[in-house]
Amino acid sequence: MKKITAFILMMIMTVLLTACQDSGAGSDSGGSAQTDMEYIKDKGTLVVGVTEYAPMDYKDENGEWIGFDADMAKAFAKTLDVEVEFIEIDWDNKIMELEGKTIDCVWNGMTLTPEVTSAMDCSDAYCGNAQVVIVPSEDADKYPDADSLSGLTFAAEAGSAGEGVLQELELEYTSVKTQADALMEIAAGTSGAAVIDSSMADAMVGEGTSYADLTVACTLNSEEYGVGFRKGSDLVKALNDFFTESLADGTMKKCAETYEMQDMLLEK
Amino acid sequence: MEQILDQMPIVITSLNIGFIQTLKLFFVTLIGAFPLGLIIAFGSMSRFKPLSYFTKLIVWIIRGTPLMIQLLIIYYFPGLVLHKPVWGGGEAGRFLAAAVSFVLNYSCYFSEIYRGGIQGVPVGQEEAGLVLGMTKNQIFFKVTLLQMIKRIVPPMSNEIITLVKDTSLARIIALQEIIWAGQAFMKGSHGISGAIWPLFFTAIYYLIFNGILTILLGHLEKKLDYFR
Repeated sequence: MKKITAFILMMIMTVLLTACQDSGAGSDSGGSAQTDMEYIKDKGTLVVGVTEYAPMDYKDENGEWIGFDADMAKAFAKTLDVEVEFIEIDWDNKIMELEGKTIDCVWNGMTLTPEVTSAMDCSDAYCGNAQVVIVPSEDADKYPDADSLSGLTFAAEAGSAGEGVLQELELEYTSVKTQADALMEIAAGTSGAAVIDSSMADAMVGEGTSYADLTVACTLNSEEYGVGFRKGSDLVKALNDFFTESLADGTMKKCAETYEMQDMLLEK
Repeated sequence: MEQILDQMPIVITSLNIGFIQTLKLFFVTLIGAFPLGLIIAFGSMSRFKPLSYFTKLIVWIIRGTPLMIQLLIIYYFPGLVLHKPVWGGGEAGRFLAAAVSFVLNYSCYFSEIYRGGIQGVPVGQEEAGLVLGMTKNQIFFKVTLLQMIKRIVPPMSNEIITLVKDTSLARIIALQEIIWAGQAFMKGSHGISGAIWPLFFTAIYYLIFNGILTILLGHLEKKLDYFR
């Protein structure tokens, strides 16, 4: 028994010692003054954090990432001469993923809310979107505009633009994990209505979905989409230049038309 | 209903891929946590006080905090604080981080079960071994350890079944296990969007797998019945 104890003690000490050495080495290399652009060119990949979210980023039948954002990200990576890699993340953890360098940007129809712009360095807005109110179809006539909404209990994704609108209008709401959960709340009768992105509403409610008897009642305010990078990243400028160029030569519009999003594009 | 039948093949394929990740995490955790748990059990039973206090501290920290937080810390901490994303962003790295968290967490729970099992073997057994002229090592491996195994099967079965379901926590670091795969159809995946049923359907996978495990563990318990 004594021998075993001594052996274990030795093992633990070894593990602890190596762990200490590792963390020491880590903090050394962490202080290097490499810019984000150099970092990405060094490793040769631009890692894009996404969630499956048609029509922005989603997989086709072969498991390839397509969508307006995915196609633009591929084109942007090509101009930088690096590979593009799409990684699915948990949307709640996007800032941690970015700061922890497990991804290099968040490019997923991200609404530029104050929370987002304070935590990341964001590109210029490239796309516009609206927040819509979803209710059961038979009630749709009762809620033609924002003023008619009091008395409803809402569901909205925590931290989403929809939640922001509800706070502004001082309406009663429950925050849920995803926009999809918000819809499930109505279907299950636990909430009376939900506020989600209009682009998402097009894909998720109505005929051919599990929510055939839900519909858009009215539109609330509009919002803008941008791409998020780490704070201080020089990739922001590179992407803004890329957006300006591809808007000027029409490639961005062509890409948007593929996904029937041309109306949402912001022309400047 | 017809719509569900149409969607079924695509959903099943996607859920199967997710379930393979779930199974991988389950088996890797067991393979890692069985021996590590025993080592931790020795540590906490050690007569060398600093070692036993140190091990008990670790067990307290791991058992005293939610596994979800441990997953977040183990996956994000290296990149956020040490500026060294050791796991990488890909699915393989996420799996490795999840496996490390699960092995650590479960070996602490296992260690307490082992400790209970070892200390539950009557002292008379050890004394009998000494009388027969066995060495301390022989007594441990041939007498105590074997009887411990019989004693720990029921509490271990409990933990193993809990582990099957706990693997779903790994979705917090975007490991694409079966719940993640089921949820994807709510937002839109493989051409199906706004479908709720796949998420609930994942329960059937867990239920069947746990059914098989329950039967296997029941058999094991019966086989070990000759220790009395």
